[in-house]
Amino acid sequence: MTSKLRRAHKYIWLLLIIIVPLIMVFSIKNLEFLVSKNNTISSFNSLKKGSINRSENEIIKGTVFENYVEIILKSTLKNSSSVVYEMDEKGHKFNVIGQLTTAGIYNFNINNLPKGIIIYDAIKHVEITKISFKWD
Amino acid sequence: MGLDYQFVLWNKYKKTYDKMIAAGISLYIILFAVITLIFNSETTIETLIIRAFGSLAIIMLHIILAIGPLARLNKGLLPILYNRRHLGVSMFIAAFIHGGFSIFQFHALGDVNPIYSIFTSNMDYGSLTNFPFQVLGFLALLILFVMAATSHDFFLGNLSATIWKRLHMMVYFAYALIVAHVFLGSFQQETTTFTIGITLIGFILIASLHLITAFKEHTIDKVKTEEKDGWLEVCNISEIEEDRAKIFTIAKERVAIFKYEGKLSAIHNVCKHQGGPLGEGKIIDGCITCPWHGYQYLPSNGQSPPPFTEKVATYELKLTGEIVYINPKAFEEGTEVKPCNL
Repeated sequence: MTSKLRRAHKYIWLLLIIIVPLIMVFSIKNLEFLVSKNNTISSFNSLKKGSINRSENEIIKGTVFENYVEIILKSTLKNSSSVVYEMDEKGHKFNVIGQLTTAGIYNFNINNLPKGIIIYDAIKHVEITKISFKWD
Repeated sequence: MGLDYQFVLWNKYKKTYDKMIAAGISLYIILFAVITLIFNSETTIETLIIRAFGSLAIIMLHIILAIGPLARLNKGLLPILYNRRHLGVSMFIAAFIHGGFSIFQFHALGDVNPIYSIFTSNMDYGSLTNFPFQVLGFLALLILFVMAATSHDFFLGNLSATIWKRLHMMVYFAYALIVAHVFLGSFQQETTTFTIGITLIGFILIASLHLITAFKEHTIDKVKTEEKDGWLEVCNISEIEEDRAKIFTIAKERVAIFKYEGKLSAIHNVCKHQGGPLGEGKIIDGCITCPWHGYQYLPSNGQSPPPFTEKVATYELKLTGEIVYINPKAFEEGTEVKPCNL
Protein backbone atom coordinates (compact mmCIF):
# COMPACT_ATOMS: atom_id res chain seq x y z
CA MET A 1 0.00 0.00 0.00
CA THR A 2 1.10 3.57 -0.60
CA SER A 3 1.42 5.89 2.40
CA LYS A 4 -1.79 7.68 1.32
CA LEU A 5 -3.75 4.43 1.39
CA ARG A 6 -2.26 3.43 4.73
CA ARG A 7 -3.27 6.80 6.15
CA ALA A 8 -6.77 6.52 4.66
CA HIS A 9 -7.23 3.07 6.22
CA LYS A 10 -6.07 4.32 9.60
CA TYR A 11 -8.41 7.32 9.64
CA ILE A 12 -11.37 5.26 8.43
CA TRP A 13 -10.93 2.83 11.32
CA LEU A 14 -10.37 5.60 13.85
CA LEU A 15 -13.65 7.12 12.63
CA LEU A 16 -15.48 3.77 12.80
CA ILE A 17 -14.19 3.18 16.31
CA ILE A 18 -15.80 6.42 17.39
CA ILE A 19 -19.04 6.25 15.39
CA VAL A 20 -20.07 2.60 15.82
CA PRO A 21 -19.80 2.51 19.64
CA LEU A 22 -21.66 5.85 19.77
CA ILE A 23 -24.55 4.30 17.82
CA MET A 24 -24.49 1.32 20.18
CA VAL A 25 -24.44 3.43 23.35
CA PHE A 26 -27.20 5.78 22.19
CA SER A 27 -29.34 2.80 21.08
CA ILE A 28 -29.04 1.15 24.48
CA LYS A 29 -29.75 4.45 26.20
CA ASN A 30 -32.73 5.09 23.91
CA LEU A 31 -34.21 1.68 24.66
CA GLU A 32 -33.48 1.84 28.38
CA PHE A 33 -32.76 -1.84 27.96
CA LEU A 34 -31.77 -2.60 31.55
CA VAL A 35 -34.17 -0.18 33.19
CA SER A 36 -37.15 -1.79 31.46
CA LYS A 37 -36.31 -5.19 32.93
CA ASN A 38 -36.15 -3.78 36.44
CA ASN A 39 -39.44 -2.01 35.93
CA THR A 40 -41.01 -5.26 34.74
CA ILE A 41 -40.11 -6.93 37.99
CA SER A 42 -40.86 -4.08 40.34
CA SER A 43 -44.25 -3.24 38.91
CA PHE A 44 -45.54 -6.68 39.78
CA ASN A 45 -44.02 -7.18 43.16
CA SER A 46 -46.71 -4.91 44.48
CA LEU A 47 -49.81 -3.33 43.06
CA LYS A 48 -48.77 -0.03 41.49
CA LYS A 49 -50.04 3.17 43.02
CA GLY A 50 -53.31 4.16 41.41
CA SER A 51 -53.94 0.78 39.80
CA ILE A 52 -57.30 -0.81 40.33
CA ASN A 53 -56.92 -4.32 38.92
CA ARG A 54 -54.31 -6.65 37.50
CA SER A 55 -53.88 -10.04 35.90
CA GLU A 56 -51.12 -11.98 34.22
CA ASN A 57 -50.19 -15.16 32.38
CA GLU A 58 -46.91 -16.51 30.97
CA ILE A 59 -46.94 -14.06 28.05
CA ILE A 60 -48.30 -10.75 29.35
CA LYS A 61 -49.05 -8.87 32.56
CA GLY A 62 -51.89 -6.34 32.56
CA THR A 63 -52.61 -3.60 35.09
CA VAL A 64 -55.72 -1.46 34.85
CA PHE A 65 -55.60 2.16 35.96
CA GLU A 66 -58.36 4.76 36.05
CA ASN A 67 -58.11 5.69 32.39
CA TYR A 68 -55.41 3.50 30.92
CA VAL A 69 -54.14 -0.07 30.93
CA GLU A 70 -50.49 -1.03 31.28
CA ILE A 71 -49.43 -4.18 29.42
CA ILE A 72 -46.04 -5.74 29.93
CA LEU A 73 -45.06 -8.10 27.13
CA LYS A 74 -42.61 -10.51 28.77
CA SER A 75 -40.88 -11.61 25.57
CA THR A 76 -41.17 -10.65 21.92
CA LEU A 77 -43.85 -12.65 20.13
CA LYS A 78 -43.11 -14.61 16.97
CA ASN A 79 -46.33 -13.38 15.38
CA SER A 80 -45.91 -10.67 12.77
CA SER A 81 -49.07 -8.95 14.07
CA SER A 82 -50.04 -8.53 17.74
CA VAL A 83 -53.12 -6.33 18.07
CA VAL A 84 -54.43 -5.54 21.57
CA TYR A 85 -58.21 -5.81 22.05
CA GLU A 86 -60.44 -5.10 25.02
CA MET A 87 -62.40 -8.22 25.92
CA ASP A 88 -66.17 -8.11 26.31
CA GLU A 89 -68.29 -9.95 28.88
CA LYS A 90 -68.54 -13.04 26.66
CA GLY A 91 -64.75 -13.28 26.34
CA HIS A 92 -64.70 -12.00 22.75
CA LYS A 93 -62.57 -9.23 21.32
CA PHE A 94 -64.42 -5.97 21.46
CA ASN A 95 -62.42 -2.83 20.90
CA VAL A 96 -58.90 -2.26 19.49
CA ILE A 97 -56.78 -0.36 21.97
CA GLY A 98 -53.32 -0.73 20.48
CA GLN A 99 -50.59 -2.93 19.11
CA LEU A 100 -47.55 -4.70 20.56
CA THR A 101 -44.19 -5.01 18.85
CA THR A 102 -41.21 -6.03 21.00
CA ALA A 103 -40.97 -7.08 24.64
CA GLY A 104 -41.54 -4.16 26.99
CA ILE A 105 -44.05 -1.97 28.74
CA TYR A 106 -47.03 -0.47 26.89
CA ASN A 107 -49.67 1.99 28.11
CA PHE A 108 -52.98 2.27 26.25
CA ASN A 109 -55.81 4.69 26.96
CA ILE A 110 -59.19 3.14 27.77
CA ASN A 111 -62.68 4.61 28.10
CA ASN A 112 -64.24 1.76 30.08
CA LEU A 113 -62.87 -0.72 32.55
CA PRO A 114 -62.13 -3.83 30.43
CA LYS A 115 -63.21 -7.37 31.30
CA GLY A 116 -59.91 -8.55 29.99
CA ILE A 117 -57.28 -8.17 27.27
CA ILE A 118 -56.92 -10.25 24.10
CA ILE A 119 -53.77 -10.24 21.97
CA TYR A 120 -54.76 -11.17 18.44
CA ASP A 121 -52.75 -11.96 15.29
CA ALA A 122 -54.70 -9.99 12.69
CA ILE A 123 -52.80 -11.53 9.78
CA LYS A 124 -53.22 -15.19 10.65
CA HIS A 125 -56.52 -14.52 12.45
CA VAL A 126 -55.56 -16.39 15.59
CA GLU A 127 -55.81 -15.46 19.23
CA ILE A 128 -52.32 -15.32 20.73
CA THR A 129 -53.27 -14.96 24.39
CA LYS A 130 -55.74 -13.34 26.75
CA ILE A 131 -56.09 -12.32 30.39
CA SER A 132 -59.25 -11.57 32.37
CA PHE A 133 -59.79 -9.04 35.10
CA LYS A 134 -62.11 -9.95 37.94
CA TRP A 135 -64.43 -7.13 38.94
CA ASP A 136 -66.60 -7.26 42.08
CA MET B 1 -1.69 -12.45 -14.10
CA GLY B 2 -3.17 -13.34 -17.47
CA LEU B 3 -2.95 -11.93 -20.99
CA ASP B 4 -6.68 -12.26 -21.65
CA TYR B 5 -9.55 -11.69 -19.28
CA GLN B 6 -11.17 -14.91 -18.16
CA PHE B 7 -14.45 -15.20 -16.28
CA VAL B 8 -12.67 -16.91 -13.37
CA LEU B 9 -8.90 -17.22 -13.31
CA TRP B 10 -8.63 -20.57 -11.56
CA ASN B 11 -5.52 -22.52 -10.74
CA LYS B 12 -5.16 -25.62 -8.59
CA TYR B 13 -4.63 -23.57 -5.39
CA LYS B 14 -7.61 -21.34 -6.04
CA LYS B 15 -9.74 -24.40 -6.74
CA THR B 16 -8.70 -25.85 -3.38
CA TYR B 17 -9.57 -22.60 -1.58
CA ASP B 18 -12.91 -22.37 -3.37
CA LYS B 19 -13.74 -25.94 -2.40
CA MET B 20 -12.92 -25.06 1.20
CA ILE B 21 -15.21 -22.00 1.00
CA ALA B 22 -18.05 -24.08 -0.48
CA ALA B 23 -17.59 -26.79 2.17
CA GLY B 24 -17.52 -24.20 4.98
CA ILE B 25 -20.69 -22.50 3.71
CA SER B 26 -22.54 -25.82 3.32
CA LEU B 27 -21.49 -26.99 6.77
CA TYR B 28 -22.59 -23.73 8.39
CA ILE B 29 -26.01 -23.72 6.70
CA ILE B 30 -26.65 -27.37 7.63
CA LEU B 31 -25.56 -26.80 11.25
CA PHE B 32 -27.64 -23.63 11.52
CA ALA B 33 -30.72 -25.42 10.16
CA VAL B 34 -30.31 -28.43 12.46
CA ILE B 35 -29.74 -26.32 15.59
CA THR B 36 -32.66 -24.01 14.73
CA LEU B 37 -35.03 -26.92 14.11
CA ILE B 38 -33.99 -28.58 17.39
CA PHE B 39 -34.48 -25.47 19.53
CA ASN B 40 -37.22 -23.73 17.56
CA SER B 41 -39.15 -26.26 15.51
CA GLU B 42 -41.87 -23.72 14.62
CA THR B 43 -39.49 -21.66 12.50
CA THR B 44 -40.68 -21.24 8.93
CA ILE B 45 -38.34 -22.09 6.05
CA GLU B 46 -38.24 -18.41 4.97
CA THR B 47 -37.16 -17.27 8.44
CA LEU B 48 -34.58 -20.05 8.58
CA ILE B 49 -33.09 -19.00 5.23
CA ILE B 50 -33.09 -15.29 6.17
CA ARG B 51 -31.32 -15.91 9.46
CA ALA B 52 -28.92 -18.60 8.22
CA PHE B 53 -27.66 -16.60 5.24
CA GLY B 54 -27.70 -13.29 7.14
CA SER B 55 -25.50 -14.64 9.92
CA LEU B 56 -23.32 -16.45 7.37
CA ALA B 57 -22.73 -13.22 5.43
CA ILE B 58 -21.74 -11.38 8.60
CA ILE B 59 -19.31 -14.11 9.68
CA MET B 60 -17.77 -14.13 6.18
CA LEU B 61 -17.47 -10.34 6.18
CA HIS B 62 -15.63 -10.47 9.51
CA ILE B 63 -13.22 -13.09 8.09
CA ILE B 64 -12.67 -10.97 4.96
CA LEU B 65 -11.96 -7.85 7.00
CA ALA B 66 -9.58 -9.78 9.26
CA ILE B 67 -7.52 -11.27 6.41
CA GLY B 68 -5.85 -7.98 5.39
CA PRO B 69 -4.40 -7.00 8.78
CA LEU B 70 -3.64 -10.62 9.70
CA ALA B 71 -1.60 -11.04 6.52
CA ARG B 72 0.28 -7.85 7.41
CA LEU B 73 1.05 -9.24 10.85
CA ASN B 74 1.83 -12.80 9.71
CA LYS B 75 3.16 -13.45 6.20
CA GLY B 76 2.14 -17.09 6.48
CA LEU B 77 -1.44 -15.96 5.90
CA LEU B 78 -0.70 -14.36 2.52
CA PRO B 79 -2.13 -17.36 0.58
CA ILE B 80 -5.54 -16.62 2.13
CA LEU B 81 -5.30 -13.03 0.97
CA TYR B 82 -4.64 -14.38 -2.52
CA ASN B 83 -8.15 -15.88 -2.55
CA ARG B 84 -10.00 -13.11 -0.68
CA ARG B 85 -11.84 -11.93 -3.78
CA HIS B 86 -13.69 -15.24 -4.20
CA LEU B 87 -14.61 -15.13 -0.52
CA GLY B 88 -15.96 -11.60 -1.05
CA VAL B 89 -18.17 -12.63 -3.96
CA SER B 90 -19.41 -15.65 -1.97
CA MET B 91 -20.23 -13.32 0.92
CA PHE B 92 -22.23 -11.06 -1.40
CA ILE B 93 -24.22 -14.08 -2.64
CA ALA B 94 -25.04 -15.03 0.98
CA ALA B 95 -26.04 -11.41 1.76
CA PHE B 96 -28.12 -11.28 -1.42
CA ILE B 97 -30.05 -14.44 -0.45
CA HIS B 98 -30.65 -12.93 3.01
CA GLY B 99 -31.75 -9.59 1.56
CA GLY B 100 -33.80 -11.13 -1.25
CA PHE B 101 -35.79 -13.41 1.05
CA SER B 102 -36.26 -10.57 3.57
CA ILE B 103 -37.61 -8.22 0.90
CA PHE B 104 -39.92 -10.96 -0.37
CA GLN B 105 -41.16 -11.94 3.08
CA PHE B 106 -41.60 -8.47 4.57
CA HIS B 107 -42.19 -6.15 1.62
CA ALA B 108 -43.27 -8.00 -1.51
CA LEU B 109 -46.80 -8.93 -0.47
CA GLY B 110 -48.14 -5.39 -0.10
CA ASP B 111 -49.61 -3.04 -2.69
CA VAL B 112 -46.50 -0.86 -3.04
CA ASN B 113 -43.16 -1.46 -4.70
CA PRO B 114 -41.05 -3.64 -2.34
CA ILE B 115 -38.02 -1.31 -2.59
CA TYR B 116 -40.25 1.71 -1.84
CA SER B 117 -41.74 -0.27 1.03
CA ILE B 118 -38.29 -0.83 2.60
CA PHE B 119 -37.88 2.92 2.99
CA THR B 120 -41.47 3.80 3.93
CA SER B 121 -43.00 0.91 5.89
CA ASN B 122 -41.34 2.17 9.04
CA MET B 123 -40.87 5.93 9.09
CA ASP B 124 -39.52 6.14 12.63
CA TYR B 125 -36.20 7.60 11.42
CA GLY B 126 -35.98 9.81 14.51
CA SER B 127 -35.70 6.88 16.90
CA LEU B 128 -32.67 4.67 17.34
CA THR B 129 -34.36 1.64 18.84
CA ASN B 130 -37.26 1.72 16.39
CA PHE B 131 -35.10 2.87 13.47
CA PRO B 132 -35.98 1.20 10.11
CA PHE B 133 -32.90 -1.01 10.30
CA GLN B 134 -33.77 -2.80 7.04
CA VAL B 135 -32.86 0.39 5.18
CA LEU B 136 -29.30 0.10 6.52
CA GLY B 137 -29.07 -3.52 5.37
CA PHE B 138 -30.41 -2.59 1.93
CA LEU B 139 -27.84 0.20 1.48
CA ALA B 140 -25.05 -2.17 2.58
CA LEU B 141 -26.30 -4.76 0.08
CA LEU B 142 -26.11 -2.15 -2.72
CA ILE B 143 -22.46 -1.41 -1.84
CA LEU B 144 -21.62 -5.12 -1.69
CA PHE B 145 -23.30 -5.58 -5.08
CA VAL B 146 -21.19 -2.84 -6.68
CA MET B 147 -18.08 -4.40 -5.16
CA ALA B 148 -18.91 -7.93 -6.27
CA ALA B 149 -19.88 -6.74 -9.76
CA THR B 150 -16.60 -4.85 -10.21
CA SER B 151 -14.38 -7.44 -8.53
CA HIS B 152 -13.13 -8.81 -11.86
CA ASP B 153 -9.73 -7.73 -13.19
CA PHE B 154 -11.52 -6.33 -16.26
CA PHE B 155 -12.93 -3.50 -14.08
CA LEU B 156 -9.64 -3.10 -12.23
CA GLY B 157 -7.89 -2.62 -15.56
CA ASN B 158 -10.50 -0.24 -16.98
CA LEU B 159 -11.41 1.80 -13.92
CA SER B 160 -7.74 2.31 -12.91
CA ALA B 161 -6.26 0.94 -9.70
CA THR B 162 -6.91 4.18 -7.78
CA ILE B 163 -10.65 4.38 -8.53
CA TRP B 164 -11.06 0.62 -8.09
CA LYS B 165 -9.36 0.74 -4.70
CA ARG B 166 -11.50 3.69 -3.54
CA LEU B 167 -14.61 1.87 -4.68
CA HIS B 168 -13.63 -1.26 -2.78
CA MET B 169 -12.69 0.64 0.36
CA MET B 170 -16.43 1.31 0.64
CA VAL B 171 -16.54 -2.11 2.28
CA TYR B 172 -15.76 -0.28 5.54
CA PHE B 173 -18.85 1.90 5.13
CA ALA B 174 -20.88 -1.23 4.29
CA TYR B 175 -19.49 -2.90 7.42
CA ALA B 176 -20.59 0.05 9.60
CA LEU B 177 -24.07 -0.11 8.01
CA ILE B 178 -24.24 -3.87 8.62
CA VAL B 179 -23.17 -3.54 12.27
CA ALA B 180 -25.89 -0.91 12.79
CA HIS B 181 -28.39 -3.08 10.83
CA VAL B 182 -27.74 -6.09 13.07
CA PHE B 183 -27.47 -4.09 16.26
CA LEU B 184 -30.66 -2.05 15.81
CA GLY B 185 -32.52 -5.00 14.28
CA SER B 186 -31.66 -7.18 17.26
CA PHE B 187 -33.19 -4.68 19.64
CA GLN B 188 -36.45 -4.87 17.73
CA GLN B 189 -36.55 -8.61 17.11
CA GLU B 190 -34.93 -10.33 20.07
CA THR B 191 -35.11 -10.33 23.80
CA THR B 192 -31.63 -11.76 24.45
CA THR B 193 -28.36 -9.90 24.13
CA PHE B 194 -26.69 -12.78 22.22
CA THR B 195 -26.68 -11.21 18.74
CA ILE B 196 -25.77 -7.80 20.13
CA GLY B 197 -22.91 -9.34 22.15
CA ILE B 198 -21.53 -11.30 19.19
CA THR B 199 -21.69 -8.21 16.93
CA LEU B 200 -19.92 -6.15 19.57
CA ILE B 201 -17.14 -8.74 20.03
CA GLY B 202 -16.74 -9.02 16.24
CA PHE B 203 -16.45 -5.25 15.90
CA ILE B 204 -13.89 -4.99 18.71
CA LEU B 205 -11.79 -7.78 17.14
CA ILE B 206 -11.82 -6.34 13.62
CA ALA B 207 -11.27 -2.75 14.70
CA SER B 208 -8.41 -3.79 17.02
CA LEU B 209 -6.70 -5.78 14.24
CA HIS B 210 -6.89 -2.85 11.83
CA LEU B 211 -5.65 -0.36 14.40
CA ILE B 212 -2.77 -2.59 15.55
CA THR B 213 -1.67 -2.95 11.92
CA ALA B 214 -2.13 0.76 11.23
CA PHE B 215 0.03 1.79 14.18
CA LYS B 216 2.65 -0.85 13.35
CA GLU B 217 2.90 0.57 9.82
CA HIS B 218 2.93 4.10 11.22
CA THR B 219 5.96 3.18 13.38
CA ILE B 220 7.77 1.86 10.29
CA ASP B 221 6.87 5.06 8.38
CA LYS B 222 8.42 7.20 11.10
CA VAL B 223 11.86 5.52 10.85
CA LYS B 224 14.38 8.07 9.57
CA THR B 225 17.81 7.35 8.18
CA GLU B 226 20.56 9.92 7.96
CA GLU B 227 21.40 11.02 4.45
CA LYS B 228 25.10 11.22 3.52
CA ASP B 229 26.06 12.80 0.20
CA GLY B 230 22.63 11.96 -1.23
CA TRP B 231 22.70 8.32 -0.13
CA LEU B 232 20.80 6.52 2.65
CA GLU B 233 22.24 3.54 4.51
CA VAL B 234 19.90 0.56 4.15
CA CYS B 235 21.46 -2.53 5.75
CA ASN B 236 24.30 -5.04 5.66
CA ILE B 237 24.20 -7.19 2.53
CA SER B 238 23.94 -10.33 4.69
CA GLU B 239 20.51 -9.18 5.90
CA ILE B 240 18.98 -9.81 2.46
CA GLU B 241 18.18 -13.41 1.52
CA GLU B 242 18.83 -14.66 -2.01
CA ASP B 243 15.82 -13.97 -4.32
CA ARG B 244 14.17 -12.00 -1.52
CA ALA B 245 14.01 -8.36 -0.56
CA LYS B 246 14.67 -5.94 2.25
CA ILE B 247 11.88 -3.36 2.57
CA PHE B 248 13.15 0.13 3.29
CA THR B 249 11.19 3.33 4.00
CA ILE B 250 11.97 6.55 2.16
CA ALA B 251 9.77 9.54 3.01
CA LYS B 252 6.94 7.23 4.20
CA GLU B 253 7.05 5.24 0.94
CA ARG B 254 8.35 1.67 0.88
CA VAL B 255 11.11 0.49 -1.43
CA ALA B 256 11.99 -3.19 -2.00
CA ILE B 257 15.70 -4.01 -2.44
CA PHE B 258 16.12 -7.43 -4.03
CA LYS B 259 19.22 -9.69 -4.02
CA TYR B 260 19.44 -12.12 -6.94
CA GLU B 261 22.09 -13.76 -9.13
CA GLY B 262 24.89 -11.79 -7.43
CA LYS B 263 23.14 -8.45 -8.00
CA LEU B 264 20.99 -5.90 -6.16
CA SER B 265 18.06 -3.92 -7.57
CA ALA B 266 15.55 -1.60 -5.95
CA ILE B 267 11.95 -0.88 -7.00
CA HIS B 268 8.90 0.80 -5.45
CA ASN B 269 7.25 -1.69 -3.10
CA VAL B 270 3.65 -1.21 -4.30
CA CYS B 271 2.26 -3.50 -7.00
CA LYS B 272 0.28 -1.73 -9.73
CA HIS B 273 -2.42 -4.37 -9.66
CA GLN B 274 -3.94 -4.00 -6.18
CA GLY B 275 -1.19 -2.37 -4.14
CA GLY B 276 0.37 -5.62 -2.94
CA PRO B 277 3.76 -5.48 -1.14
CA LEU B 278 6.27 -6.53 -3.81
CA GLY B 279 9.07 -6.75 -1.25
CA GLU B 280 7.23 -9.57 0.50
CA GLY B 281 7.26 -11.58 -2.71
CA LYS B 282 10.24 -13.35 -4.25
CA ILE B 283 12.03 -13.61 -7.56
CA ILE B 284 10.57 -16.35 -9.73
CA ASP B 285 11.91 -17.00 -13.25
CA GLY B 286 13.97 -13.82 -13.00
CA CYS B 287 10.95 -11.64 -12.15
CA ILE B 288 9.86 -10.03 -8.88
CA THR B 289 6.54 -11.72 -8.17
CA CYS B 290 3.84 -10.01 -6.10
CA PRO B 291 2.73 -12.22 -3.20
CA TRP B 292 -0.92 -11.15 -3.56
CA HIS B 293 -1.87 -12.07 -7.13
CA GLY B 294 1.37 -13.05 -8.87
CA TYR B 295 1.92 -9.87 -10.95
CA GLN B 296 5.55 -9.78 -12.13
CA TYR B 297 8.20 -7.08 -12.69
CA LEU B 298 11.77 -7.17 -13.96
CA PRO B 299 14.15 -6.12 -11.13
CA SER B 300 16.37 -3.89 -13.30
CA ASN B 301 13.63 -1.66 -14.78
CA GLY B 302 10.45 -2.28 -12.75
CA GLN B 303 8.54 -3.21 -15.90
CA SER B 304 6.25 -6.20 -16.30
CA PRO B 305 7.65 -8.52 -18.97
CA PRO B 306 6.03 -8.00 -22.41
CA PRO B 307 3.22 -8.06 -23.43
CA PHE B 308 2.20 -6.70 -20.00
CA THR B 309 2.50 -2.94 -19.47
CA GLU B 310 2.55 -2.40 -15.68
CA LYS B 311 5.62 -0.57 -14.38
CA VAL B 312 6.86 0.79 -11.07
CA ALA B 313 9.53 3.32 -10.04
CA THR B 314 13.16 2.20 -9.73
CA TYR B 315 16.01 3.35 -7.49
CA GLU B 316 19.80 3.52 -7.70
CA LEU B 317 21.87 1.46 -5.26
CA LYS B 318 25.54 1.31 -4.27
CA LEU B 319 27.55 -1.07 -2.14
CA THR B 320 30.34 0.16 0.12
CA GLY B 321 32.07 -2.77 1.73
CA GLU B 322 29.13 -4.85 2.97
CA ILE B 323 26.77 -1.90 3.46
CA VAL B 324 23.97 -1.24 0.97
CA TYR B 325 23.13 2.41 0.19
CA ILE B 326 20.17 3.78 -1.75
CA ASN B 327 19.65 7.05 -3.59
CA PRO B 328 16.26 8.26 -2.21
CA LYS B 329 15.34 9.99 -5.45
CA ALA B 330 13.10 7.66 -7.45
CA PHE B 331 13.45 7.31 -11.20
CA GLU B 332 10.44 7.46 -13.50
CA GLU B 333 8.38 4.29 -13.52
CA GLY B 334 9.97 1.65 -15.72
CA THR B 335 13.41 3.37 -15.90
CA GLU B 336 16.29 0.95 -16.50
CA VAL B 337 18.85 1.09 -13.67
CA LYS B 338 22.06 -0.90 -13.81
CA PRO B 339 21.94 -3.49 -10.99
CA CYS B 340 24.53 -3.13 -8.26
CA ASN B 341 26.98 -6.03 -8.54
CA LEU B 342 28.00 -7.82 -5.36
